[in-house]
Amino acid sequence: MSRILSYVIGAMVSAVLHVGVIVALWANWQPSSETVYLQPKYVVAELVQLAPRAPAVSKEKKTSATSDQLARKKKRQLEERKRKSRADELRKNAKKAALAARKKREDEERLALEKRRLEESRRVEREQQQAEWEDMLTQKEAQMDAQEDQRAANSYRQIIQQRLSENWSRPPSARRNMEAQVRIQLVPTGRVVGVNIIKSSGDAAFDRSVEQAVRKAHQFIELQAMDSRLFELKFRSVDVAFSPEDLRL
Amino acid sequence: MSEENLSILSLIINASMLVQAVMAILFLASAISWVMIVQRGMYLSAAQRDFRQFEETFWSGIDLNSLYREISEQQDENVPPTGIENIFRAGFGEFNRLVRLEKPDPDAVIESTDRAMRIALSREEESLGTHLPFLASVASVSPYIGLFGTVWGIMNSFRGLAMVQQATLATVAPGISEALIATAMGLFAAIPAVIAYNRYAALAERMNTSYETFADEFSSILYRQFHAR
Repeated sequence: MSRILSYVIGAMVSAVLHVGVIVALWANWQPSSETVYLQPKYVVAELVQLAPRAPAVSKEKKTSATSDQLARKKKRQLEERKRKSRADELRKNAKKAALAARKKREDEERLALEKRRLEESRRVEREQQQAEWEDMLTQKEAQMDAQEDQRAANSYRQIIQQRLSENWSRPPSARRNMEAQVRIQLVPTGRVVGVNIIKSSGDAAFDRSVEQAVRKAHQFIELQAMDSRLFELKFRSVDVAFSPEDLRL
Repeated sequence: MSEENLSILSLIINASMLVQAVMAILFLASAISWVMIVQRGMYLSAAQRDFRQFEETFWSGIDLNSLYREISEQQDENVPPTGIENIFRAGFGEFNRLVRLEKPDPDAVIESTDRAMRIALSREEESLGTHLPFLASVASVSPYIGLFGTVWGIMNSFRGLAMVQQATLATVAPGISEALIATAMGLFAAIPAVIAYNRYAALAERMNTSYETFADEFSSILYRQFHAR
């Protein structure tokens, strides 16, 4: 009896759990693709309309002797008041109309101003975008130029390397881990105008052989084809590292 | 497959037949294993509670005959006896039956009582361990089933990738995503089953040991009682 009950409870718990999971998946797992549009915040300027103050009506209180006189007086007063109020109304209407007209004019002015401002900001934005775009273009061009330069420089370096290694006779005292660095001064014709050792290998014979190799190479004719900008940039002075296995630029 | 609609459910619905079958199996396994988990949890906790209660009454110095009668009455009222009560009833009933004989042989009486209790014990052991093998197999197999679905789905989506000219991530991504759901479901089914299996197996083992200890103690009490008369 209680055994069946426990199965029923178990089945219920299981069903609730799994249905819950399915519902959770159904409800929550949609990727939210709602875009939020930002709206500009305007400050609306409005004319504050002052309510025309009611004219203070002074109450005259006069006690007179005769009721007839009093009645007449009252009548007169009433008429006078009526007239006054009519005049008031007229005045008020005129005022209102003037106010409305002023408001309308101001509104129009405001709208025009806003429009102008909006256009101005749009124009500025467009200009900015264009400027950015141009900037990007020039950057890209510069990058490409630099890559081109790099490629050309590498090919010239290879030529120099080859020529130097052809002209280098390694001395018998050269050991595997020796390295000498020389700085070669060049002129645009490709001629070598100066060699100095900037890092000695520690072996005098080795250093001498290196210097000899550069002097023997004498002129790198191929460098004449190079454009002068690149030459000034990279080949006015060239550092070369010599080591017995190979030589690196 | 439309790319805007990448919710999990639409992925499942658009999956290939085999992957869907795998998912269905895993879902079913998960559902059934949860039924088992709850049922076992209730059964084992009830057994534990009853054992504690019974031990309290048993060691409170109550007359064993009246305890026996109480339990028998309970059974007549269709309240099923719980594990420990079953063992006690089996042992004590057998003992009483044999003691009432003309000339009871002490060894035979004790041995027979022990046997009766052992039978009840093994029955209890059985009922403590029901469904645990199912949980164990869900725990160990469902990750593999899920993995199979995933591998199959990914295989298919790569085969589809080989056929298109321009391979982009968008051509394989839905297929892989869909296939990975199978693994997720496998893990979803397996993790509770593993936890429940480990816990319930330990609990059943402990209950079993307690029953055995009780049976031994009870047997020694009966032995003493028999020789005291």
